[in-house]
Amino acid sequence: MSAIETASPRAAWSATETPPRISEDWLSVIIGLVIFVLALAVLANVDLIGWAVTTSVWSNLGQALGTASKTYAPLGGAGALLATYVALLAVLSAAAMALKADVRKFALAFTAVFWIAYASWVVGSYASFAAVTPAELQRFGVAWSLRLTNEGGFIFALLAGLIIANVFPRFAETIKEAVRPELYIKIAIVILGGFFAVTAAGKLNLASSLLLRGVAAIIEAYLIYWAVVYFVARKWFGFNREWAAPLASGISICGVSAAIATGAAIRARPIIPVLVSSLVVIFAVVEVLILPFLAQTFLWQEPLVAGAWIGLAVKTDGAAVAGGGITESLILAKSAAEGVTYQPGWILGTTATVKVFIDIFIGIWAFVLGYIWTNHINVTSDKAKIVEIWQRFPKFILGFVLTFLVGLYLALGTPADVASKVPVAIGEANTFRVIFFILTFFSIGVLSNFKKLWQEGIGKLAAVYVISLFGFVIWVGLIISWLFFSGIKPPLAG
Amino acid sequence: MSQPDIRTELQRAAPEPLLPIEKKLIGFSLGSGLVLLVVLALLNYFLPATF
Repeated sequence: MSAIETASPRAAWSATETPPRISEDWLSVIIGLVIFVLALAVLANVDLIGWAVTTSVWSNLGQALGTASKTYAPLGGAGALLATYVALLAVLSAAAMALKADVRKFALAFTAVFWIAYASWVVGSYASFAAVTPAELQRFGVAWSLRLTNEGGFIFALLAGLIIANVFPRFAETIKEAVRPELYIKIAIVILGGFFAVTAAGKLNLASSLLLRGVAAIIEAYLIYWAVVYFVARKWFGFNREWAAPLASGISICGVSAAIATGAAIRARPIIPVLVSSLVVIFAVVEVLILPFLAQTFLWQEPLVAGAWIGLAVKTDGAAVAGGGITESLILAKSAAEGVTYQPGWILGTTATVKVFIDIFIGIWAFVLGYIWTNHINVTSDKAKIVEIWQRFPKFILGFVLTFLVGLYLALGTPADVASKVPVAIGEANTFRVIFFILTFFSIGVLSNFKKLWQEGIGKLAAVYVISLFGFVIWVGLIISWLFFSGIKPPLAG
Repeated sequence: MSQPDIRTELQRAAPEPLLPIEKKLIGFSLGSGLVLLVVLALLNYFLPATF
């Protein structure tokens, strides 16, 4: 499979003969909201999705899997895994049908994607990889551990995807129908809104402060990063405007969606944003394998700086938000080892906030570029129209905002007996958020065929990316994260 | 477009000098970005995060 063919959600459906009935964006909102609403049944003492599978750190495989809720404990770990697979297969096959994909092909491919990805996650939860504290090492009877935490399983899923893409490219081609990182991460982000609401409800002032500081991310990504990367691409590397604009958006704003939105806005040939998107995915993989560990080593005493930095430096929603999850686990583990136990959710919440803030303005920025291009550079009758702002608005953000507001209302505006059940309900939804993260990581890996991409002749594009990313983006992101988030600590647990 | 075409296109692309409108776009973005950043940094300093 070509990395080019599949990095773009638009290109992913190119095999279909007619346009899909609904976009992946809206589908992600629907699926995320359905999971969220089903989880809220707990508030009425009805447990509808507690059968979902969860994985604990293990040294005895028989104890690795369990159900999200004790109500369904008799199902057992294997039963929960099977039930989760069947449910996701049914829901996502229906989604594939709505997208006019080949449902049979999708179902077979998803079966492979799910089982390989989840198996990688289970392997990553093995005590010698995931146990963190001396007490855990003793409890699991292991002498040493990589201390990657339970969420180190994301790295294993990513590596499994990378191996398939680069060693078994034919198999990667076979399962491409279900390799959809954009769909999976958008569903996860919709669910994340509710999770973040429950986290924020306890410390509303702190959450408001984080939201205000997210504005800095927009300024950095759109006004500073974009201008510098565009200048570097045009002046230093001699790219023409058609290449430089999508490249600058891909590197500086939000990867795949920004490159595609910009390409369409300036009326570039479709192959250009698709190529840039492939490059973004490859570099996101490299970043996710490196940055969370750097954050753990150097920023563990400033957890929210680390969260914001990941959101600013990693350039796809999937890799950034999931990378925020890994960073949170690693930093919480390191802090705990030093005797400080933070509440979970704040680092990941900061990463997601930064990313969502950046995403919101993609449509507006694309319109600004489209207006300049169609009126001043390549003057054409096909002028940029204001309606394009809405057309390019990432709709999954509406789902994120909705679950956040509903979650916040339920946690703060309902009687105590209802509010006390909200964390349990959201916790069940969050089980699916983790599963969609796993699918995202695996899918990103499968899309990253390094050899193929190199053969496609984008070495010069990659050079711009390397110089911009490692020479500028991650450092400026670090400075700005430090400027706005240093000294702000997550609340302590308990 | 075939793969060799992309490689060739990237290698042989004729230079396109920066137009005044592009220079304005870069200058305005960078300038306003830096000014806004300073404003936000001052706000951040005088209105620190509340816990």
